[in-house]
Amino acid sequence: MTQPRAIVPVQLAIGVGVIAISAVLAVGAFRFPPEMGFVILGAHVYPYAVAVFLGVVGLLLCYQAATGGFRELADHSDEAAQALPGGKAGAAWVTAGLIGVAVLINLIGFVLAAGLLFACSARGFGSRRPVKDLAIGIALTLPIYWLFNAGLGVSLPPLVNAWI
Amino acid sequence: METLANLAIGFSAALTPINLMWGFIGCLLGTAIGVLPGIGPALTVALLLPITAKVDPTGALIMFAGIYYGAQFGGSTTSILLNTPGESSSMVTALEGNLMARNGRAGPALATAAIGSFVAGTIATVLLTLFAPIVATLALKFGPAEYFAILVLSFTTVSAVLGASMLRGFASLGVGLTIGLIGLDSTSGIARYTLAVPELVDGIEVVLVAVGLFAVGEALYSLLYQKEETSGRHRLTSLWMTRADWKRSVPAWLRGTLIGFPFGSIPAGGAEIPTFLSYSAERKLSKYPKEFAGSKGEGAIEGVAGPEAANNASATGSLVPLLTLGIPTSATAAILLAAFQNYNLQPGPMLFQTSGELVWTLVASLYVGNVILLVLNLPLVGLWVKLLQIPRPYLNAGILVFATIGVYGMRHSSFDLMLMLAIGWGGVLMRRFDFPVAPVIVGMLLGPMAEKQLRNALSISEGDWLVFVTQPISAAFLALTLLVLVVPHLLHARGIKLHEDD
Repeated sequence: MTQPRAIVPVQLAIGVGVIAISAVLAVGAFRFPPEMGFVILGAHVYPYAVAVFLGVVGLLLCYQAATGGFRELADHSDEAAQALPGGKAGAAWVTAGLIGVAVLINLIGFVLAAGLLFACSARGFGSRRPVKDLAIGIALTLPIYWLFNAGLGVSLPPLVNAWI
Repeated sequence: METLANLAIGFSAALTPINLMWGFIGCLLGTAIGVLPGIGPALTVALLLPITAKVDPTGALIMFAGIYYGAQFGGSTTSILLNTPGESSSMVTALEGNLMARNGRAGPALATAAIGSFVAGTIATVLLTLFAPIVATLALKFGPAEYFAILVLSFTTVSAVLGASMLRGFASLGVGLTIGLIGLDSTSGIARYTLAVPELVDGIEVVLVAVGLFAVGEALYSLLYQKEETSGRHRLTSLWMTRADWKRSVPAWLRGTLIGFPFGSIPAGGAEIPTFLSYSAERKLSKYPKEFAGSKGEGAIEGVAGPEAANNASATGSLVPLLTLGIPTSATAAILLAAFQNYNLQPGPMLFQTSGELVWTLVASLYVGNVILLVLNLPLVGLWVKLLQIPRPYLNAGILVFATIGVYGMRHSSFDLMLMLAIGWGGVLMRRFDFPVAPVIVGMLLGPMAEKQLRNALSISEGDWLVFVTQPISAAFLALTLLVLVVPHLLHARGIKLHEDD
């Protein structure tokens, strides 16, 4: 907002990203296998339409980004332009916890993996007692595990794997 | 009269102990997540969707509906006592109600919010009872062309009206439509955009996207950009409303309801607009304009009563297009649509004929739910406030654990968990640059529907595209779409902004 016609690189990147999605859609639709029989509207027509729509939106986003930035950003977006101190580390903890659960859930079972996620996220949000957090996490997930398996018939991977 | 008879059947089903229990659980959960910051009704219903595999449709839908409007009740408690709105639609309540609380009038503010929500919810349910069958009868005449036109209209309104910028709304919609494209095409059987990943052939579940955006995205965003609120909690005072409070609240409740219901029932995107409209109406009409926040007053009770009523009425109103046309006008309604679809029920005009009993039981449960919520909220408000003492790390960690269970429980895939994380980071980017989230959900759900109707319409017309403008109803919807696109520009040119900062 300070320099009315400045280029905002991050926003330009978002615009380019939207155009890229549009391009992927168009190329993908071009490579659909041919359809058999009499077809009124092929499987590629509607994706083309979405691609054109996104392409136009992406171009307009780029235009705005190149001429002073997106219009009418809410106040909180300006004010929070910089990540909070410690925010990145916190987000990294949460991300690590989620990757961890995705990788480990089939190895160490649901309860331990989810307990670990709980501890990592709590750490990300500022808790400094990993052992207590892990205990709370496991205490929280045990009843859920039981509820899902017995009550809802949604079977989750075993409590702990046999070798533990 | 037929309506009354149907409603009576509905009540007899809604009042069975088992359905009362589901309603009670829904209201309880809804109030709790409404009070808690960082978790909203869309996310909660999304996480509970797996129960559709076990619980009968009536019970599950009663519970989901309870969560939906229970959250509106609970949201006001947080806004008034903490000044952090629990839900985006209680922003105004946070403004005016918090001011009242700061001046020792937390009790009356909570009371007028709860009773107002009850009054508005009940009147709106009466309106729903009266109007829904009429709309459904009208909608029975709609063919694919009309449906396609309505879907285009909904796309436009959801993306153009929500949020500050129409362009960014359309960008979100486009992303949603793209997600909706992934998977097997139902007509031709071709796998589209699956990138040779077997997990993508079935398409991406709406639960996964909702959980990624609302739980993971929200958690990461709040870590990165939201300062922790340090403002203390206000003390609870007696809930007793004076005679003057009642006199000022009642008209505000009624006006709020009349503003909220129509806005909820047209695809205008969420409860924000009617609450802001109601607030400015109350401010203009009030005999005590000096008490409002804008005039540095002590907080005006009308400013809480009106918007809270509007908020609840619009939540009920949004059930009209959902039940009669199958078109969701908010993120939560979109997830409710997914719940119907899990039962192979397609909301729309036929629903009233094929599953009449279910619909009327659901409507009756709304009346019952409003009573339950009034009872749950007023006397137990002290209990709900205690929920706010859960430490922030544990609350957020708990939400993330539930999110993981919800996504993993669907088909036990680690790929889904990674996708959820990726969508979460996408959500951070969207929030950072003020892209609205609801169009993504609505787009991914309604996109495939629009494509199907488009194909059907063109099959019937033998490939003639003019069918959309030569049929009067469809042409009218498309004209309305054009209006939605143009009017904000005209208003803008005249210096009027449909924007949240008032």
